[in-house]
Amino acid sequence: MPEREDDILLGSLMEETWLTLEQVAAACPVEPAWLLAHIESGLFPHAESVAGVWRFSGAALQRARRMRQLEQDFEAVPELAALMADLLEEMDALRVRLRCAGLE
Amino acid sequence: MQFKDYYQTLGVGREATAEEIKKAFRKLARKYHPDVSKEADAELRMKEVNEAHAVLSDPEKRAAYDQLGAHYRPGQEFRPPPDWDAGFEFSGGGFRPGEAADYSDFFAELFGRMGARDAGFRAGGQGFRGAGEDHHAKVMLDIEDAFRGATRQISLRVPQVDAQGRVQLATRTLNVRIPKGVREGQVIRLAGQGAPGLGGGPAGDLLLEVRFRPHDRLRAEGRDLHLALPVAPWEAALGAVVAVELPDGAVKVRIPEGAQSGRQLRVRGKGLPGDPPGDLLLDLRVVLPPADTPRARELYETMARELAFDARRV
Repeated sequence: MPEREDDILLGSLMEETWLTLEQVAAACPVEPAWLLAHIESGLFPHAESVAGVWRFSGAALQRARRMRQLEQDFEAVPELAALMADLLEEMDALRVRLRCAGLE
Repeated sequence: MQFKDYYQTLGVGREATAEEIKKAFRKLARKYHPDVSKEADAELRMKEVNEAHAVLSDPEKRAAYDQLGAHYRPGQEFRPPPDWDAGFEFSGGGFRPGEAADYSDFFAELFGRMGARDAGFRAGGQGFRGAGEDHHAKVMLDIEDAFRGATRQISLRVPQVDAQGRVQLATRTLNVRIPKGVREGQVIRLAGQGAPGLGGGPAGDLLLEVRFRPHDRLRAEGRDLHLALPVAPWEAALGAVVAVELPDGAVKVRIPEGAQSGRQLRVRGKGLPGDPPGDLLLDLRVVLPPADTPRARELYETMARELAFDARRV
């Protein structure tokens, strides 16, 4: 059945840096305090502070989910979860390069 | 709905200790970790393992499940009796709205009510007014969609409270128009499409996280577009103008004389659309024609004889 034009929702593109701390926390889901503690410990490079307000890139969502999962599933200390997340992000980038080079 | 045997999912007996359950869960969490597992159905298995662990690692949920499940076999048709959980005190929540997609209908049927009690309490509060939570989902797009924009149908599993106060997982379908110029990792906001507000408060937003499906030839990094460009040896050596196919049509690119494999060419403004648009980055790859005919062999032999060239001393 053809879609009616007025049934279609129009999305607005958010700049990567427009995600707030609360939005990232709700989407992952984690407690805002958990996220803040990890940022303050330097384990969350995808966050930047502008005029005292934290803002996040879209990549922050996946990193937060990965770190939370590692901490929950394996009782990993935050530093170990961050190290794993660093390695997984590097692996993601390398896999994309392999695929584009026709090697995967 | 079919009964799920959480003990079988974790591979432990019904008498397993908390420590044995934790150990079995960690072993499976490593095996089915979605970032590293080679198993075809790793993501699905990981969800099942997580759900089994969520129940069996929580003494209150486990006790209730054990009582209910004593007479059921895995896969058997299942319908919980009314008020089956009377006499059990659940201190934790069932699941948060953002986690609903990770749990089965079976789990929602058994433990969803815990969230409903909480929601009922909040909704009944005198004079309480609050904004709904933002919901979040991923949307998979093709790189081509960034050039043209796209309309996608998105199905979300959301918890809904029925007339009896029980939480059920319902499927909500939205048609979403995604604007041209979208980038991987970017977030699309649909105002008012998240959780309903409380006491007349505004609904939350739906945040869609954009992911690109793997593409055979193209790779996007921000607004820049990477493409491996095969060229013939004479095109690389002598220079040439070649056509490069992109999602919005072909562009002509000049290969400079003396180009080598591995060299990168940047074509400004021909990456993903935007203001400003990204660049197209071409990774040159010199491809040799096969020496599979007498004439081709002759040409290679002529080069070998007449060119003072040593590939190991370039």
